[in-house]
Amino acid sequence: MVHEPLIRVQEAPFDAGAEQSALLAGRTDIGAVVSFTGLVRDFNERPEVTALTLEHYPGMTESALEAIVAEARGRWDLDGVRVIHRIGRLTPGDPIVLVAVASAHRRAAFEACDFIMDYLKTRAPFWKKEHAQEGDYWVSERHSDHEDAGRWKT
Amino acid sequence: MSLTHLNARGEAHMVDVADKPESRREASASGRIRMLPETLALLAEGGLPKGDVLATARIAGIQAAKRTHELIPLCHALALSKVAIDFTLDEAESCVEVTATCRLNGRTGVEMEALTAVSVACLTLYDMCKAVDKGMEIEAIRLDAKTGGKSGDYRRGAAAEASGGAAVVTGAEGPIVTGEGHGGQVVVGSRCEIASPCIRVKCLAELRERLGVGELSVPLSELERPDVGGLKAALKALDPRFTGLEEGRVLCAVNQVMAGDSTPITDDDEVAFFPPVTGG
Repeated sequence: MVHEPLIRVQEAPFDAGAEQSALLAGRTDIGAVVSFTGLVRDFNERPEVTALTLEHYPGMTESALEAIVAEARGRWDLDGVRVIHRIGRLTPGDPIVLVAVASAHRRAAFEACDFIMDYLKTRAPFWKKEHAQEGDYWVSERHSDHEDAGRWKT
Repeated sequence: MSLTHLNARGEAHMVDVADKPESRREASASGRIRMLPETLALLAEGGLPKGDVLATARIAGIQAAKRTHELIPLCHALALSKVAIDFTLDEAESCVEVTATCRLNGRTGVEMEALTAVSVACLTLYDMCKAVDKGMEIEAIRLDAKTGGKSGDYRRGAAAEASGGAAVVTGAEGPIVTGEGHGGQVVVGSRCEIASPCIRVKCLAELRERLGVGELSVPLSELERPDVGGLKAALKALDPRFTGLEEGRVLCAVNQVMAGDSTPITDDDEVAFFPPVTGG
């Protein structure tokens, strides 16, 4: 039995523990689950970030995430994938993104989770605007994110 | 909470908005007019004695939005950047649903404009149909959503769920429009004739704020070549702000799939321009 990947784009917070439990519910064939949660930091391009606002491109966001998960499934033998990305206004400490990957073996779960995050950061249409003491600014792309994503080119 | 149109002595006064920051404001309102099923059928067929009912009511609604300040005593005169009126014929409920959306970049909200547009569109529908049906009822005129301004965003239904303060507009349709740090977004509006081939263009995130353009429509006929490169050239010819499409890295998607300058474009395509992504 293979679970359908579950992709959600939402304003509401999520509970990483509950999401992981749901991914594993009723399964005894899964040997490994890797779960990554990204959080809002209070410093980034400028210190004292008080909040950030995540904008996305409805429709394209979902299809881009689906394509990334489909590619991960093509590369590794996965038993379940869950991707949740939040949008709207978030404050430091809030969870932004969850990627949970289940597989029979740990290597596939670690690598697929890493791969999905790298591709999400460079291919999914989300944009962060940070609100700092000195004003608001749009976050710039990072060269290191592209290098990270480039690691998976075969 | 206090009533801003009343001063300390409880007298009506017009709020001074000179010192308020400009921001992108949008409001949508709706209402409906109930009628006999036969009247609705005549309206749908165009068989009413006064002619094209919906086109007339649409113009009436747009005109009314622009003249709201003449009707409502303490409203400011506003230079609206967009007024859109839509009608939905509901046969099950035997009514016409009217929705109005008003937008501008300014210092005061546009709720009254949207509500006035719906009201006058409904009244015009009544006038256009009254020869065959005098029992029509106008009802449920209300604000559905507003964004921008100090009082925050509002969406009908969401207010009750929010734990306090203004409700946040959910992003079910359209992108979430970010804070007020950078105003200056103006909808250039549709330049398309109804029924002529048209491209829908969106600018997202930082690019929307940098160019000051959110969405617009461009007739396909304005493109020398029917591809993304041709669209960029046509946009720059249309408005010098679009030279910003060449500054920095700007990505493009056609119908929500990543595209390049040579990607072909056809009628009714959605073309989005946006900066490099920064999610996760």
